[in-house]
Amino acid sequence: MTAAAPSQSSPSWRKGIIAYLMVAPPLLLMILLIFIPALQSTARTLTIDVNGAPGFSISRYTAFFQDPISVSNLFFTFQVTLITLAAIFILCFPLAIYLRFANGKLAGAVQVLALFPLFVPGIILAYALIRFLGTRGTLDNVLSIIGFTGYRTPYLKPDAIIFGLVWESIPFTVLVLTAGLRQISDSLIESARDVGANSWQIFWRIILPQIARPVLIVFSLNFLGIFGSYTIPYLLGPAAPQMMGVFMQQTFGQYRRPDDAETQAVITFIICAFIGFLYVRTVANQRKREDSE
Amino acid sequence: MKLRLILLVVCIALLGALSVSAQDRTPIYVYTDSDTNISDFWTNTIIPAFEAEFPQYEVILTIVRGVGGGNADIANRALAAMTTGDDPQVDFFETMNTDAQQDWVDAELFLEVTEEMVPNLANVIPATNRLPQEMPYRGSQVLLAYNSDNVAAEDVPTTYAGLLEWIKNNPGQFVYNRPDKGGSGAAMVTRAIFEVTGQDPSKFVPGESDEALIAEFSKAWELLGSVHDSIYEGGAYPAGNTPVLELLANGSVSMITAWSDQGLQAYNLGVLPETTRFAQLQDLPFTGGYAFSAIPSNSTNQEGALALANFLLSAEMQQAIVETIGGFPSVSWEMLPAELQSQYTSVITDTVPTWPGGAYGAAMVEGWYNNVATNIDPSS
Repeated sequence: MTAAAPSQSSPSWRKGIIAYLMVAPPLLLMILLIFIPALQSTARTLTIDVNGAPGFSISRYTAFFQDPISVSNLFFTFQVTLITLAAIFILCFPLAIYLRFANGKLAGAVQVLALFPLFVPGIILAYALIRFLGTRGTLDNVLSIIGFTGYRTPYLKPDAIIFGLVWESIPFTVLVLTAGLRQISDSLIESARDVGANSWQIFWRIILPQIARPVLIVFSLNFLGIFGSYTIPYLLGPAAPQMMGVFMQQTFGQYRRPDDAETQAVITFIICAFIGFLYVRTVANQRKREDSE
Repeated sequence: MKLRLILLVVCIALLGALSVSAQDRTPIYVYTDSDTNISDFWTNTIIPAFEAEFPQYEVILTIVRGVGGGNADIANRALAAMTTGDDPQVDFFETMNTDAQQDWVDAELFLEVTEEMVPNLANVIPATNRLPQEMPYRGSQVLLAYNSDNVAAEDVPTTYAGLLEWIKNNPGQFVYNRPDKGGSGAAMVTRAIFEVTGQDPSKFVPGESDEALIAEFSKAWELLGSVHDSIYEGGAYPAGNTPVLELLANGSVSMITAWSDQGLQAYNLGVLPETTRFAQLQDLPFTGGYAFSAIPSNSTNQEGALALANFLLSAEMQQAIVETIGGFPSVSWEMLPAELQSQYTSVITDTVPTWPGGAYGAAMVEGWYNNVATNIDPSS
C-alpha cells in the first residue's frame, strides 16, 4: 500500500478510502457475526452467578476437563484430525508432484479424478461410503469374489471417518499443492540437474523449501475443516467416542445443556483460532515478502 | 419498432397474469423435517388433494430435514419474529413437539386448537395424548422386522426379555440405531426403561420429570449393556432409521427394530426382501408415536392452516396414511374401511405406549450414550 505511487488522476488518499470502503463490508460481517458472538460466548463461559451478580469462574472448563467423556471426545477429535492430515499429505503429495511434472491425457484424467470429490456433497459421500464400505457392501463383495472373506467393515468405526474426510479433502489439497509447485520454474530444476543434482536432492533442496508455505496453508485450512467436521463423523463414525462437532450438537440439542455445549464450542474455537492464526501469519508473511520484492 | 412494442406489451400482460394468479391463492407455508416417505406423501398425495378441495389456498412445502435443527430452528425463527412483530413465514409445522423448548411454552408460540376450530379433532383417539396445541394426524409404532430365512417364526421373541436372550444367542445379528437419531432405536431404549420400571408407561407423564423415576434408568443401562457386545459389529449403532433398514435389507443382520411405516413401505417397494416379516412384542409393545402438527400463533394465514389441519384428520386422508405410507391413523380404526382393518391385524395392538420426551428424553439419550455405547468404563 505504502509503495503505491500517487497518480495525478486519483490522489492516494482517495485510493485509500476506496480500499477501506471495499474491505468494510466483509470486515463488519466478521466483527458482527463472528468476533462479537465469539467474545460474548467466551465471556459467558467464564461467568457464574454469584447471588445475582456475575462473577468470574473457570468452573465450566474444569467440569469439561474433569469429565472423561468430554476429554476423550476432544482427544479423539485431535487424533482423527492428525491421522487424516497425515493421510492427506501421504496421498496428495505424490499426486501433486505428478500433476506438476506430467503432461498428456493421463495427467488430465488424473486431475479430473482428483478434483471430482469437490462436486460431491458430504451427505451423498457418506451414504455412498456406507454402501461401499459396509458389510456386504461393494468392497466386501469384491473381496469375497477374489477369495478374501475376513473383511471387517470400518463403517461406524473411527476408520470410516478418516476415510471419508481424506476423500473430501483431496481436491483442495491437490489444487493448492499443485499451484505451489507450479511457482517453481522449470529452469530452476533444469539448472540444478545440469550441475548434477539427483531427483532426491532436487526434491529436498529445491522443491520442499519452495512449497513450505502452500504446505502450511493446506495444513491449517484442512485442520480447521476436519476439526469442526460434522456430517461425515455423524453418519460414518461410532456412537462413542465422538468428534467435537457431533458432540456439541448432541449436548445442545439432545442433552439440552446449552451451557456445556457453549463451553465445548469455545474450547473448539480456541484450538481452531490458534491454527487460524498460523494461517494468517503465513499469508501475511507472504504479502510482506512480495511487497519487499 | 412495432415488433418491440408488441413484445413489450406481451411481456407486461404475462407478468400481470402471473401476478394475478399468484395473488388469487393465499399461500400456506408448511415446514417438515420428517423422513422422505413423509415429505413425498405430502408432495404427491396431501397437497394435490387439499388444493383440489380448497382452490383458494396454495400449500408451499419446505423440507428442512437434516438442516441444522430442522423444524425446531424454524420454530425459533417464528419466536424471533414474534418478539419483533414480523411475519414468521410459517403457518403450519408438519411435526412439532410444542413443549420441546421452554421459550416456546412461555411465549405461547403455538396456537391452542379446539374442536370448534378443527371439527375433526373430535374423532382423534385419546391414546394420542395430545397437548392442547398439538394435532396428531398420523401414527406409527415400532415393530420388530426380521428376515424369515434366518429366523424361524417360532423363534421370534415375544417378550422383551426374550428379545435380549435372542440377541445374546445370535451375536452380531441384531441392530438398533442411536436413540436420538431415530425413533426405531429410541424405542429399543425406552422399552428397556419401561421394562425396569414395571412395564407401566403411564408412570411417564409428558411435561413432568420425576427424579426417582430417572434414577431407575440405570437398571435399563445394565440390560442394554448386557447385549452391547452382541449388537452388529460388536456394538456399532447406526445414526438413523434408514441405515438400520439398510443393514437388514443387505443381509448384514437378521433382526432390527423398525418403524411400522418405514418398514412396511420399504417392504412394499421391494427395498426389504420378500422374506421380511414383522412382529410386535406381546408383553408390552414398543412405543408408538404420533406426529403432532402445530400452528404458530403468529401465523399470518391461520384460517388456511386450520383448514389444512381439519383436512388431514378427514377419513379420506387417514385412509391414505394407512395405505400410502404404512402409518397408523390418529382417528379410531373404526372410521376406516373394514377390509383395511383386517389387513393390519398382525401389527395392530390395543396399546400404543408413548414416550414423553422432554426431560425424560434428555436423560434417556444422555444415559444411553454415557453408559451403553461408551468408550469410557462407567464404573471408573
